[in-house]
Amino acid sequence: MTTTDDVRTATPEVELERLRAENAALLAQMQHRDGELEVATRMLQARAQTMTSVIDAVTEQSIIGTDVDGVIRVWNPGAEKLLGLPRADVVRRRSITDFHLPEELEAAGGGLAALVRAAQEHGSDVRDWTYLAAGGEELTVSVAVTPRTDDTGAHAGWNFVGTDMTEVRATERMKDQFVSLISHELRTPLSSILGYLELVLDDPDQPLTDEQRQYLGTVERNAQRLLRLVGDLLFTAQVDAGRFSLQPEDVDLAAVVRAAEETARVTAATAGVELVVDVPDGGLPVRGDAVRLGQASDNLVANAVKFTPRGGRVTLTLRAAWRTADGTVVPEEQPDAVPVARLAVTDTGIGIPAGEQAQLFARFFRASTARRNAVPGVGLGLAITKAITTAHGGTLELDSAEGRGTTFTLTLPR
Amino acid sequence: MPTGPARVLVADDEDDIRALVCLAVRRAGCTVVAEAADGPRALTAARTDPPDLAVLDVSMPGATGLEVCAALRAAPATAAVRVLLLSAGASPDDVAGGLAAGADDYLAKPFSVAGLVARVRELTSGATA
Repeated sequence: MTTTDDVRTATPEVELERLRAENAALLAQMQHRDGELEVATRMLQARAQTMTSVIDAVTEQSIIGTDVDGVIRVWNPGAEKLLGLPRADVVRRRSITDFHLPEELEAAGGGLAALVRAAQEHGSDVRDWTYLAAGGEELTVSVAVTPRTDDTGAHAGWNFVGTDMTEVRATERMKDQFVSLISHELRTPLSSILGYLELVLDDPDQPLTDEQRQYLGTVERNAQRLLRLVGDLLFTAQVDAGRFSLQPEDVDLAAVVRAAEETARVTAATAGVELVVDVPDGGLPVRGDAVRLGQASDNLVANAVKFTPRGGRVTLTLRAAWRTADGTVVPEEQPDAVPVARLAVTDTGIGIPAGEQAQLFARFFRASTARRNAVPGVGLGLAITKAITTAHGGTLELDSAEGRGTTFTLTLPR
Repeated sequence: MPTGPARVLVADDEDDIRALVCLAVRRAGCTVVAEAADGPRALTAARTDPPDLAVLDVSMPGATGLEVCAALRAAPATAAVRVLLLSAGASPDDVAGGLAAGADDYLAKPFSVAGLVARVRELTSGATA
């Protein structure tokens, strides 16, 4: 750069020459910068183009971006397709809340705040919302909500990525209705079978021979088995559809466990399996659904008996315990530990191969040891027991070694 | 006060089950005064000649047992009829729905005949006094 000294000392010719050279250098520098700017602009354009083309290529998901007030700024072809409005009609003109079912939004607290509350707290949120399309059609959409930031990292608005679940949810509902219908249709003839069987078996005027009684006993046992199966199917369908609710009351878990032993006693005796019950004398109260807890205990005990060869033993141990902050269950009370009830059902049965234990609670799953040993069942019992346990805020764990036996441990808050 | 055996209306669209219910009602020492295979006929029968007890299946064509029960409760002439609902749906929600409709008791199918006899006796014990 020139200094005042240079100007004073240089002759006009020299000064002119120097200025020309400086001018040329500046020009070259400017042209270079211009080139750089062009490259940068092209790169930015290309990047924006890539982003837009990616967003525009998404036709099966709606991608909607809004500002902090919920005014729509991004509206991809997926949103056009789902909600039936072109981008030009929506961007800067409409709010995301315009496309939500008003009643549903109101029930969630109303306005944009209802939509983004969970995403604000947890960084993202995925749940079903009902979108209203341009034609008034209601759509069940699984919407992922995330906050959006601008180039400085400041909060600039929200992204809503939606997947149309209308058909999926309708199919789920149909499945649920189908199972309910079938259950009802199966239960009705079973009601007749069991009712008339009772009349024949309990007729004091026409007593049956021992042989007849034995045959009809088999009929009754199998009818009861069908009935249980129908009930289990219906129950799993209800769990699937989220229609399964508990009727909480104070339940003595010790009584529940003793009842489960009583239910399994005849079957165990016939199978040559010893049943041992060890419950606290004074009982062990928990808060829960007595019928469902009974079902869970029955399932565990019936399973243990079923999978234990003649001469084996099934032990039912119920204890009060405490769960510490790190999840360990200890037998003695500790500060900050939560009181729990622990039911362990231990058998000396055929066991479950280690590789299959993770799938054990899946519906209709049956261990290879069960199939190999022709143990009857359809694979619903443990799925149901797990669902009941989870609904009670409890856990169900297993510890098993093939050929040695299995322990299922049910832990419930008390 | 009426004397003699309690009078019972039995409504179920399944012939075999209806016959079973009628048998239980008779075993309980009551008289079956009317049988119906659907909701509207059950309601007509109850209005024409109000019984002491109506044993109603929940899922019947025309009108459900719940609807028949609510209609009975709504009319002064039949408001005092005792109602026992029978249903193949036995979830706590079903029971709550039945009791909300004004039923006196609720029995899940399949029911034991002995159990039904006991319920019918219980629900008609006031009527025969």
